[in-house]
Amino acid sequence: MKTISLNLRIWRQKGPGATGEFRNYETGPLSTDMSFLEMLDVLNEHLTLEGEEPVAFDHDCREGICGMCGAVVNGRPHGPQSRTTLCQLHLRQFHNGDTIVIEPFRAEAFKPLRDLMVDRSAFDGIIQNGGYVSVNTGGAPDANALPIPQRAAEQALDASECIGCGACVAACPNASAMLFVGAKVSHLALLPQGQPERNRRVINMVRKMDELGFGNCRNERECERVCPKGVTIRNIARLNREFLRAAFLSEEE
Amino acid sequence: MTHRYDAVIVGTGLAGLRAAMEMPPGARVALLSKVYPTRSHSGAAQGGIAAALGNEEPDMPEWHTYDTVKGGDYLTDQDAAEVLAADGPRAIFELEHLGVPFNRRPDGRIAQRAFGGHTRDFGAAPVKRACHAADRTGRVVLDTLYMESVRRGFRVFPEFSLVDILLREGRVAGLVAMEFATGELHVFETRLLLLATGGFGRVYRTTSNCFANTGDGVYLAYRAGVPLQDMEFVQFHPTGIHGLGVLISEAARGEGGFLRNGDGQRFMDRYAPTIRDLAARDVVSRAILTEIREGRGIQGGDCVHLDLRHLGSERISEKLSEIASFIRIYLGLDPSNDLIPVSPTCHYMMGGIPTNLDGQVRAADGSIVPGFYAVGECACISVHGANRLGCNSLLDLVVFGRRAGQKMVKDLSLLDRTELSSKSESRIHGRMKRLVESRGEVRVPDLRSRMQSVMNRYGLAFRSEPGLRQGLAEIRELAEQCAFVKVENRQRGYNAELMEALELESLLGLSELILVSALQRTESRGAHYREDHPLRNDKDWLKHTLVRARTEGPEVIHRPVVITRFEPKERVY
Repeated sequence: MKTISLNLRIWRQKGPGATGEFRNYETGPLSTDMSFLEMLDVLNEHLTLEGEEPVAFDHDCREGICGMCGAVVNGRPHGPQSRTTLCQLHLRQFHNGDTIVIEPFRAEAFKPLRDLMVDRSAFDGIIQNGGYVSVNTGGAPDANALPIPQRAAEQALDASECIGCGACVAACPNASAMLFVGAKVSHLALLPQGQPERNRRVINMVRKMDELGFGNCRNERECERVCPKGVTIRNIARLNREFLRAAFLSEEE
Repeated sequence: MTHRYDAVIVGTGLAGLRAAMEMPPGARVALLSKVYPTRSHSGAAQGGIAAALGNEEPDMPEWHTYDTVKGGDYLTDQDAAEVLAADGPRAIFELEHLGVPFNRRPDGRIAQRAFGGHTRDFGAAPVKRACHAADRTGRVVLDTLYMESVRRGFRVFPEFSLVDILLREGRVAGLVAMEFATGELHVFETRLLLLATGGFGRVYRTTSNCFANTGDGVYLAYRAGVPLQDMEFVQFHPTGIHGLGVLISEAARGEGGFLRNGDGQRFMDRYAPTIRDLAARDVVSRAILTEIREGRGIQGGDCVHLDLRHLGSERISEKLSEIASFIRIYLGLDPSNDLIPVSPTCHYMMGGIPTNLDGQVRAADGSIVPGFYAVGECACISVHGANRLGCNSLLDLVVFGRRAGQKMVKDLSLLDRTELSSKSESRIHGRMKRLVESRGEVRVPDLRSRMQSVMNRYGLAFRSEPGLRQGLAEIRELAEQCAFVKVENRQRGYNAELMEALELESLLGLSELILVSALQRTESRGAHYREDHPLRNDKDWLKHTLVRARTEGPEVIHRPVVITRFEPKERVY
């Protein structure tokens, strides 16, 4: 079994208003088969025994599907491995003696909670403004309704890959949420179910996104580079088209 | 802090969210979730959701009912299986209307694929019944239902852990929850309580379940006086990545992969000569465990190898790309060159809180506990019997989640409020204080690890009386040590150690109940296999197990199985 020792530089912050700082921790020898979050577990066990407060971080499934985990590792959300979440990162990606800088997702709209945890509920605020289909769900379905072309279904499926982790926002120099919003808008705009509310949805979601302090897309493409699910900026292009289209057509504006 | 609601739903996976959709505007409804709602474990479901749409080939709900009953080894309550199958197509269309992007056929209708145990003509041949959204079916349905709940503006309390259920005079009065961010205790006074808290795979060392699946809801219901049903039936998936439990889907063996033991031998030849590596989940799991027990694991250890090398890198990247990426990510191995270490992983709990078809919780005497509902993996309707079929769990969540929600709406107008005593949180407060002020030396990770070893050793897919007795004795000893658990972390908020200490009590309690239930069932049925009683015995055991709390310990009673139209037959595939 190969082992490595690492120098960790971790952002520590007691609470939302508190001043944070980087603190250094040296790990003992760790197996390279260990996952990144297991390394934090081990660190926390030591800190707790020494009477220091453990590092708070989000995680749940540790299989890359729940969207809970996430931190910026050496400047990159979810770390150096592409198309994976932080929980899928393993120490075999690092070398003995490496210094690893670990900090939370930073964005105006993601308020820091503690250490590596941030409040990503701003995403919900956007969803609340149209990311759903308001149909009467109580009624009987009309037969094998809504045939959908395979291609549209596939594009909608690709858009629905988004797990709402927020890495796109953290990676963007403008802290833009347009990859997230683009994915949500695309998913419904491509399906017949989404048509009745299509114009209203995109206008309201974009308005909310701006209001919450997310920035604009500047085609840096950092978001798609770090997206663990490979959601592409084609969804941002579609968001822009949908927005323009709706702005022309919308009667409410 | 005390909150007052008409209804509280604990758990925001598919079951809880689907039930919530029934709540009328104006009703005071709160949703509690241990994790952030869209991180609920329903999201991990990959394969699909079964319904007899007949889009690909002829199919009928009657056939789906039969498959569900047979899959459950005839322990399934057949009235529940009928409801599940009959309501399936409606449930799929409803999800479609809400915006779930199902895969499509060339003609635009929803595509369906084959899945283990789903057949046409009452077992004649496999049928394509699984609707799916790539391999992320659970995730997209969860996102869709969550969007829906956000639209309706339900009050959601995220990262609130259920720590006590309050019943008064045999009916629901409220609950206590701990807010993770602050460590504060919140009392919720409510007329109606729905538990949709999921399974408890975390009692085993290897599980495909996420970290939050510790069964708090199930165990607290038991502590509050509700019996638990069919706890001995635990589904193990044969091929979890060794040590991690992350699933390698059956597709790997479907494409031609096979298992090898430590001697490099294809051992499934000896266990299932005709279909070999594609035998039923319980059969393959037992074969792997036999090899391991007889010293033929890899280097004498506790795993075997899955061999995909002969498929070649091209076929692997074309047909098994997800699986290959999992293997690369978690093991750093290349399946076209390397053997993959696998072992059975705990996947699903068939047992749980007994309910009727409307999600109403049933007491030991079969009567309804007013105001108390359960649905999803934490409940036992029992629609999955002794063994759940793939793709039936997501359907269970949306079909019975809706029914429970509808029943709750009716009951809202019937039940009045029960006054809570002012000391509602004192019991849990005492527990927390004991943990932090303990002078003991026992640490949570140690105790939990020992519990998981015991359960893996004696409570796995392979059971016998001496083993179960030994396991039970060891679990009870560990439970006693639970009193000496020391929580070193003194933080009020974000105290993961304190939370894990509270969860450990549930896990140990549920471990005991699994073993007690397994010990008394002296037959083999579905996922429950007794080496000392290897055959199914309908004469004595065609009945549900109920285990209830007594001062002297858990007591087992039984309840008959509901049989409507399918007389028990031998289960042969």
